[in-house]
Amino acid sequence: MMFLHSIQSEWLKTRRSLAAWLVVIGSFFIPAILFSVRLIYSEKLPTDSVKTDFWETLFSNHWQTMALLLLPMGVILATSLIAQLEFRNNTWKQLHTTPQYLTTIFMAKFTVIVAMMLQFLVLFNIGILFTGFVPHLIFGVAIPQQPVPWGYFLQQNAYFFMDCLPIIALQYLISLQFKNFLVPLSVGLGIMLASLISLEWKYNYMMPYTHCSLNFYTIKKMEGVVNPNINFHAWALGYFAIFMVVGYVLYLTQKQKG
Amino acid sequence: MYIIEATNVSHYFSKGDQVLDQINLSVKEGSIYGFLGPNGAGKTTTLRLLLGLIRKQAGEINIFGKPFDQHRTALLSQIGSLIESPSLYGQLTAAENLLVWQKVYQCPKSRIGIVLDLVGLSNTGSKKASQFSLGMKQRLAIAVALLHSPALLILDEPSNGLDPSGIVEMRELLKKLNQEEGITILISSHLLPEIEKLVTDIGIINHGKVLFQGSLEALMQRQRQASSIVFDTNNPGEALRLVQAQNQGAVLDQGKVKLPALEPAKVADLNRRLVGSGIDVYEISMVENDLETIFMNLTK
Repeated sequence: MMFLHSIQSEWLKTRRSLAAWLVVIGSFFIPAILFSVRLIYSEKLPTDSVKTDFWETLFSNHWQTMALLLLPMGVILATSLIAQLEFRNNTWKQLHTTPQYLTTIFMAKFTVIVAMMLQFLVLFNIGILFTGFVPHLIFGVAIPQQPVPWGYFLQQNAYFFMDCLPIIALQYLISLQFKNFLVPLSVGLGIMLASLISLEWKYNYMMPYTHCSLNFYTIKKMEGVVNPNINFHAWALGYFAIFMVVGYVLYLTQKQKG
Repeated sequence: MYIIEATNVSHYFSKGDQVLDQINLSVKEGSIYGFLGPNGAGKTTTLRLLLGLIRKQAGEINIFGKPFDQHRTALLSQIGSLIESPSLYGQLTAAENLLVWQKVYQCPKSRIGIVLDLVGLSNTGSKKASQFSLGMKQRLAIAVALLHSPALLILDEPSNGLDPSGIVEMRELLKKLNQEEGITILISSHLLPEIEKLVTDIGIINHGKVLFQGSLEALMQRQRQASSIVFDTNNPGEALRLVQAQNQGAVLDQGKVKLPALEPAKVADLNRRLVGSGIDVYEISMVENDLETIFMNLTK
């Protein structure tokens, strides 16, 4: 019960925060661009309507920039901003003098970050559906014949979510340790760039921030980037577990709490 | 009963950098304990240790008679605190800030309105905490500390940033909380005049050592003992010789005879002797060392 109250408290703190705005704006950014493109090239709408892989193509178009760049970047920013809420407002000391176990505080904050990630995925998928349906309605063209493949959407979102977990966990770990916002941000962006560069490498799955990109390349069925014999989702979960445990231990053993 | 008992607490920030040296602190139930010391004396470190914000290295800390380490969460549920600058979420309103903590403490929601009224912030509406003046932020931080009706308040320099009327209001509020609701208050400050009008007990710390601990009355007693009587006469040399015959502590200071404070009857007796010896006594005055001077002497 205490944990639930802690989550409610943590969630309240995100109200009107930069991280909360980032989730909303970030989730509609790519859909808004592709929506505009579909409006501009409205002559293609009738042919789109009859495509049998309409939704898979649209999904993949949306995820292209998102998986490679925007999602890792957004996760880096949002996670760092959540911890920064306490540093910037000088509230760690107040939080650590509340009658909560340190584990509760650590997990409640993490849960809120995960909830924001889920919120992002829901809004992003609403954006995809909006981009898929609304231009047809605006121009009076028949809506896509292919039914929305809910199972496919759900499965791929679950994979992207899973592949983001190491990024969340490592950024969370760093953000809790450093007051200076630039530290988690620069470390995160550095690892992200290194991960992008390492995509050509045969052991790319070993880089902790590559897994979203690898999932995208799997969707695109791009051979040569993804090693079919490696379960990179498992690597993502493994990294996530390691970063969480290290982050938790470092948090518990901090000499000064605020 | 002592609400706070800290025994032989020492703390090092790094090897050789001792911040606290075996300090002992005893805060009585129902008291307002002023924890006084110049900047950098170790006040905030002590308060942080009491609240578990810094890991204890040596000594014992008992709060409400229980070891803090073993009963951390249970004890913290009875403590309200304000350490250094106010801890507020700038993007939230005053009521939203309190709601954040209400969720954690699970106190009635009605307490939010009550404490906002108490600190005079009930009309701030949708104004964000980041737009508050420092005084308003300080008052909201006090409201946060009071939200869950704690039995013990630990306040670190709560009047920082308050204007004179704000300081008086804060003092009255703390007195009211202490007298009407029985809240024990531990308040730190580097300003003695601000503390002496509020506290019942006092602890003075400097360079990590507690130099005085006791009731305000005991400190006043020390003040009286440190006072002196001054005789201004037409013949200081002869006057000193006569007075020294009665009181070895007499000295010549700026052409006047100065000696430790005496009972009024003894002052009258000395005066008679001086006049009887043909010395004109122009003035007899009492020089009282105020608490500020005592504080300065203790912390030199």
